[in-house]
Amino acid sequence: MRNTFTIVQRVTAIAIDIALGAYLFSVLWFVLYPALIENPSAQLPNIYGYVLTMLFACAFATAGALGASLGRLFVTGKASNGMRRTIQIHLGWILLLVTIVSGWIVTDISPSEFFSSEGLRGAGRIFSALITPQFDIISAALSAMVETVYIALMSTIIAVPASFILAFPAARNLMQGSVAARAVYSVLRAFLNIVRSMEPIIWAIIFSVWVGIGPFAGMLALVVHTVASLTKLYSEQIEDVKEGPIEAISATGASQLQVMWFAIVPQCVIPFLSFTIYRWDINVRMATIIGFVGGGGIGTLLTQYQGLSKFHEVGTLVIVITLVVWILDVISARIRAALQ
Amino acid sequence: MQSLVSLSGVGHVYPNGFRALSNINLHVHTGEFLVIIGLSGSGKSTLLRCINRLVEPTEGTVSFSGVDVTHTTGDALRMHRSRIGMIFQDFNLIGRHSVLDNVLYGALGRTRSLPSILGQFSAEQRAKAREALEIVGIAEKQKSRADALSGGQQQRVAIARALMQKPKLLLADEPVASLDPATSHGVMKYLERINKEMGTTVICNLHFLSLVRQYASRVVALKAGVIVFDGLPPDITDAWFKQIYGEDAIEVEIR
Repeated sequence: MRNTFTIVQRVTAIAIDIALGAYLFSVLWFVLYPALIENPSAQLPNIYGYVLTMLFACAFATAGALGASLGRLFVTGKASNGMRRTIQIHLGWILLLVTIVSGWIVTDISPSEFFSSEGLRGAGRIFSALITPQFDIISAALSAMVETVYIALMSTIIAVPASFILAFPAARNLMQGSVAARAVYSVLRAFLNIVRSMEPIIWAIIFSVWVGIGPFAGMLALVVHTVASLTKLYSEQIEDVKEGPIEAISATGASQLQVMWFAIVPQCVIPFLSFTIYRWDINVRMATIIGFVGGGGIGTLLTQYQGLSKFHEVGTLVIVITLVVWILDVISARIRAALQ
Repeated sequence: MQSLVSLSGVGHVYPNGFRALSNINLHVHTGEFLVIIGLSGSGKSTLLRCINRLVEPTEGTVSFSGVDVTHTTGDALRMHRSRIGMIFQDFNLIGRHSVLDNVLYGALGRTRSLPSILGQFSAEQRAKAREALEIVGIAEKQKSRADALSGGQQQRVAIARALMQKPKLLLADEPVASLDPATSHGVMKYLERINKEMGTTVICNLHFLSLVRQYASRVVALKAGVIVFDGLPPDITDAWFKQIYGEDAIEVEIR
């Protein structure tokens, strides 16, 4: 039983254990210890913390090497013998407990503030302000909402052609021909993943410096993120097409471009449309959030009133946003259902 | 007499290591109606695809009209394919497009990419496409969506698409395997007419021996990627049948 692991599995298990050991000790040292010991000045210098973390990680890894490793839980589904299993389970519980306790400390969870009388009065004030909206600003709110919807619409419209073209080199099944094709595929996919994992709000900050605060910055931010995510969705659809029509069109002597246009695109048009409408729906929500960092539209208006503590006006904006997002959500769901 | 299609020592190994064909030597003459039989997985489909080079053989040479096309690429490959029509078990039409458009796609090999994508097929090409639809007796459906047609009708559209290529050779990969017996004969009859009246050479994969005896002028049998029989339809005796399809096989008739 012991020797059923390959070198790679054993190394992986030890690596996982080093990481878990280091995590466990750093949490104990840097979070729990300062929080639970009354006098922070009594703390040892942090350098000892790092050294002890490394030692603890090594100790954990040694345990891993002995076979009591938590890492083994991830490396293989096989149960080890009884005692080792018990150690693994105890270690697992300790990790979970330590994580929850330190998480409580790090996020400053404080029930006393949540239920304090002053806090509750504040909550009462803001809720009553929100439900008694100030409709004097309704025309400004609506025009800002229109701006937001158009930011979403334009960013989607601009992103679609780019995504459509990029989707083909990003589809694995079309890029198997040569080493160069596979390289293009891998680089493009990696690039898109990086762009996609940067939230639109970060792109909005970048573009608000680039082109100045306003709807144009918000739209550019959404274009970038939309291209990255639509390309992924489109290319996965292309990977799903039936091979038969591709063979049939190729057999007539069609060029690669003709094969894409006549055999692949017709199979993808409906799902592409569906993804696009769904994405526009998402973009309306994102355009609202992007407004908070200077991306224009109703989000910008909302932060202004919130900064002035004008909560009656904030209430109006919240109602407008909720209604419009809800209506667009229903419409988009209807259209997508009809397209199926 | 020079053969239209010549395969010499053709073999094919797929990238996953599966050997589909070994040392195939086959010469097909103009005007033949050659039927290839064999179990599923015996290499019939790969053999057809080596001829129009949807598959590139890993061994041997393929020539068409005396020209070596084994490793042809680019425009020469497009030109080679455009001379050979092909129909499939699953018809492989573009379901969302009209019947007439599907037939026009037979002309893609001889149309430049950009005009074709913009839908600019010439009046002459459209007239030819209608003519092809009339030959298979389905002209009245030209405006329907292809996926609205029955299986037999879709196969006839696929034949029209192949005719649009004015092919010297027609490849048919189990053209009736998805169809019921009555419709099967309808489709086979069109292939027979194209062979007899237009002089187009036909190479067809089939499962049913009764169809083989009725339509084939020559039969080749494949077993595990090797030719085990090459002769006339009446020569396929029970002994041969068992050798090709295995001891347990029972012949099913389709009338």
